Amino acid sequence: MEDFNPLQAAELGGTRLIYEPLEIPSTISGVYTPFLATGYAFTDPTTLVYTIRQSVKWSDGKPFSAADVVFTFNLLKKYPAFDSTGIWSAITAVSASGKDVTFTLKSPDVPFADTIAQVPIVPEHLWASISDPVAYTNDHPVGTGPFTLGQFAPTQYTLKKNPSYWGAATIVPSEVVFPAQSTNQSTNQLEVVAGDYDWSYNYLPDVKQTYVAKDPTHNTYWFPPGGVIGLYLNLTKAPYNDVNFRMGLSEALDRTTIAAKAVNGYMQPASMTGLVLPNLEKWLDPSIPNTGLISQDRSSALADFTKAGYTQQGASLVGPGGVQASMTIVVPVSFSDWLAAGTEVSTELGAIGIKVTLDTPQYAQYSSEIQGGTFDAAIGGYGGTGSPYTDFDQALSSAFAAPVNTPTVNNFERFKDPAADQALAALAAATSPSVQMQATAQLESIMYSQVPVVLMYYGGSWGLFSTKHFTGWPSASDPYTLPTPYNNALLTVITHLKSAP
Amino acid sequence: MRYRYVRRKVVLFVITLWAALTLNFLLPRLMPGSPVDAALGKLAAAGVTITNAERTAIEMQLGVPHGSLITQYWQYLTGIAHFNFGVSYSFPNETVAQAIGSAAPWTLVLVGSTTIFAFIIGTLLGVYAGWRRGKAADSVITVGATFFAGFPPFWLGLLALYWLSFKLGWFPIKGGYSPGVTPSLSLSFLADAFDHSILPALALAITSLSGWVFGMRNNMINTLGEDYVTFAEANGLRTRTVALLYAARNALLPNVTAFGLSLGAVVGGAVLVEGVFGYPGLGNLLYIAVSNHDYPLMQALFLVITVSMLVAIFIVDLLYVRLDPRVGQ
Repeated sequence: MEDFNPLQAAELGGTRLIYEPLEIPSTISGVYTPFLATGYAFTDPTTLVYTIRQSVKWSDGKPFSAADVVFTFNLLKKYPAFDSTGIWSAITAVSASGKDVTFTLKSPDVPFADTIAQVPIVPEHLWASISDPVAYTNDHPVGTGPFTLGQFAPTQYTLKKNPSYWGAATIVPSEVVFPAQSTNQSTNQLEVVAGDYDWSYNYLPDVKQTYVAKDPTHNTYWFPPGGVIGLYLNLTKAPYNDVNFRMGLSEALDRTTIAAKAVNGYMQPASMTGLVLPNLEKWLDPSIPNTGLISQDRSSALADFTKAGYTQQGASLVGPGGVQASMTIVVPVSFSDWLAAGTEVSTELGAIGIKVTLDTPQYAQYSSEIQGGTFDAAIGGYGGTGSPYTDFDQALSSAFAAPVNTPTVNNFERFKDPAADQALAALAAATSPSVQMQATAQLESIMYSQVPVVLMYYGGSWGLFSTKHFTGWPSASDPYTLPTPYNNALLTVITHLKSAP
Repeated sequence: MRYRYVRRKVVLFVITLWAALTLNFLLPRLMPGSPVDAALGKLAAAGVTITNAERTAIEMQLGVPHGSLITQYWQYLTGIAHFNFGVSYSFPNETVAQAIGSAAPWTLVLVGSTTIFAFIIGTLLGVYAGWRRGKAADSVITVGATFFAGFPPFWLGLLALYWLSFKLGWFPIKGGYSPGVTPSLSLSFLADAFDHSILPALALAITSLSGWVFGMRNNMINTLGEDYVTFAEANGLRTRTVALLYAARNALLPNVTAFGLSLGAVVGGAVLVEGVFGYPGLGNLLYIAVSNHDYPLMQALFLVITVSMLVAIFIVDLLYVRLDPRVGQ
């Protein structure tokens, strides 16, 4: 399955080391690392100008220029199948002049620079003549990146250092090897432990024993939070459309136990502000009590349920018409951590008198239920982009809240609040830090007080590293990106590595 | 008479084939969720943040059919008639025929040879146990077979993987050959592939052996009670001649049917065992196809499985006319 087409979803992971985007924002802090651009500026809230790096060459020796950037973005316009981040639904034009590339946005959208910056740039001199770029597998990739294709075999391929890379002097590894993964998770875990990987990404139970102890001087791990896992409620259905009922659910849960059961206690209970903490703590509104953490409080949960019309009778929580509150939670069966969380949630909600059923289909069915809005409750996740705007927009924007039976991937709980839309628009248009902070705080308080999603614990990011050959891996003391080798963080990390002493 | 028997079997074969083809078309489409949902699931499982734009792009990249079921059914049937199975969703740049073509040899060799091996060894053990019924050898063989019959093959595979590969390092952990090697017919590659096939072959052979042992032992015991066996013994024939040529030959008949069927089932691969060992065969491919809701690939795999099963049954039916003349009458 040789496929190095950087614009396809089926591309091989190493493609990200062959082609470069303009810049890569850190998935932890949002801070940019520049690649093909040296900087950017909003000349006004709808005009974004990137300054393109000079004297960069494609790996076939031809010079790279601003025209290649314009060509790539026009390719996304011509072939919407490539536009997986919705570039052309947000911009109206792209043009080059000298070493500047100018994007014209439809409406003020400063955070959208993150999305534009991450599109991989392809060479016009080769791609202009490809008749069907969507099906093109690009067996002989030519990019600007730090690596070029070495050897390819069906179960493993090798990338070699690109000696003409503009930053070649700082690239330490001479070769990067990508072995194929097995379809069986336990086999992969065994191989990570037995194998000689410098970097792997795998959830391992009891990692200190199973991984670090195998080679205590070199093996390290870093499991930072990379998103928020929550109990999503279908806001188009009663009683979930009642904020008091949602608040009651939130206070009925013991998040510490849920996190312990789901991910071995590697992750902390999540802040109800919707921010991934500590990654985004500089955005935290100090007026929200206890950093937004909600602890289990049965009596105040029952008080909330009473306001929603539900009272405890014996062991059951009974609502209007004398009917016991009941809820079906849908969880994809292959996600074992979510499944464990769902089981614990149903035990805890059962204890307060709600009749909970767990529905555990394959992911494809789960996905069509939540996207179509036919579910009651679901375990799901969001966030982890490093940008508070993008995280909140995906969770709260009413633009995504499609009618029931029209699929929507984002805001599938179908939250609609004009105040949230206004705050999102204000954050999108803001260029000054104080206005950004103000709008973010507003969104945090909506998350905290409206409970559109009952957030529970942070989703983990499972980086396993060996310092035998290289140092400079992301870590708690140097948290420059999430340790995820499957997205652009791959390029950020590989370009950060140093030789082991 | 015999001609009518054969004609009836041919008509039956054609009708069964059509029914199977139709089921192969319908079954994948009855699974809840769509190929797009499955593709998004794969991205989500990898931790990618999914957006509506991503969903739209994937819909376009996969080229999932929008026509009515009837139109799709017609395209499917005409496609099969032209041996055109379409393009896989799981491997967007490969045709279904290419994907199956590269996986088939692995399964045919691994599962095929272990099936034959297990049949021969199991049958011989069964003959011996049946002949020595009630003796120590019978007890050892029967108890041993019962013990291993209880193991699911994938679990035996996991155990072997953990102890022999992970703890002791005697065998490679996964794959059909060493990573980074391009498959060829060179001696060094074949040796490497053999090394990788030992554990999955063991897991499959040991667990499937028991079925043959039980079947053959029971048939033997029945046959040994027949008058002609007593007559042969009374005539003073040598023990081995009686056991093998008189008793075992007749006792073998039901096992031949079962053997035909299990040869037909070989192409289905051993989904779980291949999964555990990451073996690049048809079973693994089927698993990938199902988890991606890959309609074209699933249809074609089911087609290969049903056709080889039907052909195996057909051949066994025809063979039976020769083995047991009473059938054709």
